[in-house]
Amino acid sequence: MNFLRRPAFLVGLVLVGAVAIAAIAAGWIAPFDPVKNNYRYRLGAPNDLYLLGTDRYGRDVLSRILFGAGVSLRIGLAVAVLSGLAGASIGLISGWWRPADAWLMRVMDGLMAFPGLLLAIALAATLGPSEATAIVALTVAYTPRTARVMRAAVLVARALDYVEAARAVGANTVRILAKHILPACAAPLAVQQTFVFAVAILAEAVLSFVGVGPPPPQPTLGSIIADGRDTLVEAPWIALAPGTVIAMLVLGLNLLGDTLRDALDPRMRGMLR
Amino acid sequence: MLRLIAVRLLAAVPVLLVVSLVSFGLTLLVPGDMAAELAGPSATAADIARLRESLGLDQPLLGRMLAWYAGLAQGDLGRSVLLNQGVGAAILERLPVTLSLAFLGLGVACAIGIPAGLIAAKNVRRWPDQATMGASLIGLSLPDFWLGLLLIWVVGVKLQWLPTGGFIPLSEDPLGWLRSVAMPAGTLALTQLGPIARMTRSAALEVASSDFIRTARAKGLSEIRVFARHVLAGALVPILTVAGIGFGLSLGGALVIEQVFSLPGVGRLVIGSVLRRDWPVIQGGLLVIAFVFVLVNLLVDLLYLWADPRLRAQS
Repeated sequence: MNFLRRPAFLVGLVLVGAVAIAAIAAGWIAPFDPVKNNYRYRLGAPNDLYLLGTDRYGRDVLSRILFGAGVSLRIGLAVAVLSGLAGASIGLISGWWRPADAWLMRVMDGLMAFPGLLLAIALAATLGPSEATAIVALTVAYTPRTARVMRAAVLVARALDYVEAARAVGANTVRILAKHILPACAAPLAVQQTFVFAVAILAEAVLSFVGVGPPPPQPTLGSIIADGRDTLVEAPWIALAPGTVIAMLVLGLNLLGDTLRDALDPRMRGMLR
Repeated sequence: MLRLIAVRLLAAVPVLLVVSLVSFGLTLLVPGDMAAELAGPSATAADIARLRESLGLDQPLLGRMLAWYAGLAQGDLGRSVLLNQGVGAAILERLPVTLSLAFLGLGVACAIGIPAGLIAAKNVRRWPDQATMGASLIGLSLPDFWLGLLLIWVVGVKLQWLPTGGFIPLSEDPLGWLRSVAMPAGTLALTQLGPIARMTRSAALEVASSDFIRTARAKGLSEIRVFARHVLAGALVPILTVAGIGFGLSLGGALVIEQVFSLPGVGRLVIGSVLRRDWPVIQGGLLVIAFVFVLVNLLVDLLYLWADPRLRAQS
């Protein structure tokens, strides 16, 4: 476990941890109500009271970012877990039970022919924008990649000597899958889902930015940037700060994923997700 | 050779089938009455019924599906409810903007990212490698639409070097075109650089550790010659893969970047249609973009055959 002491891992942990703690504590530490208008103080520049300024309704940008970061983390984590479950199931069936392989993989190829974002935007809009539909849309968009990774891992695992041995001594399929295949695939799956977490946060920001994310007045990082876009000339701080928070989260998760992967398999160093 | 090409063409068929089914099935997920929603709150019951009929929504599911495929076979993607224009024509009109943006962004990203990845691989675990990989990790962690806004603010608003949005067709004014696409393509290139440099690096490392490189070294070739002649040739196929994956990313990115820079491309059309609930355009947009993606990947597949004699020898 010496990767735990690598600087990249620690930097990733600090970046994600800092944003996560701030987001969880948003209810206590946010200086203002994130959805309360204050028309006397519209588009105010950052000052001692409003540390990151105010938007065109006079809402405190810092408070909105704190609550918005929570939405990003919730959606990202939910997508990582759900697409992990779905992708692992599909990959396991595909890799283990060969008759299903060609069919399942053709469907995954078909889904992957759409840019993930475009599919997610279309799905989120179709189902009606909300936090739940954003999770569903992003899960559908990113499950095929996880299924591919899982399938590849299962194919490697089923050829391992101890798996062959287990089959030879007549262990039943469920036992082999649960005791031997799944543990062997857990590591690549965990790495992949760390990257899905990061990509889902980026994608959720785009959904919110184009207006199919969780609807207003719910602050999300993407919708704060969309607000800031309209007032970019007068109040650039509105768009600037939430993007920095997204970048911190995504960079942190990528660093965690990279170090995890390098620790698992030095040969995979530097490969794309 | 012909047989190999035919096999690859056939492999695209099931993918296109899934793509068309998903695009068709999207409208089945619309909650409530699609026709009523499209017609708007002021429509009468007769209006809604007429719209439902013109969209074929009064038909049973199988009939609608057959009509959808019959239309596709004739290149007919339906009619946009709000643009009062054929979906196919509306998309084709805007496709060149999206494609030129995607290719321009990808081209710039490859022109910088591939050499950067090769330099990193040549100096693995030394400072040029660590600097390149660090920079590319930061690059791929930035939200592209936000980076675009940042560029607009700095280059467009503060420095006033380039227009902050809008599009000038190449045929009208080449210099104006370049000025209007420079920032969006640059944004796209900045976010694509990271993945491309990383993929190139790992491909080159893989090739560098293979047997034929050891042989080349063993027979006494100079390092430069080994790298230029053998590593590069061996890395051609992985680099093609990189370009193929890069194109997919670039296409997806272009759709969003258009929105930021107000470029009249397919992404802006589809996102606008999403907000206006113009389903036929959304379906057509999904279908055409996925079709382009499949086509480019097919092209990459065929280029593999050209780049790698081992694949040709299989036939």
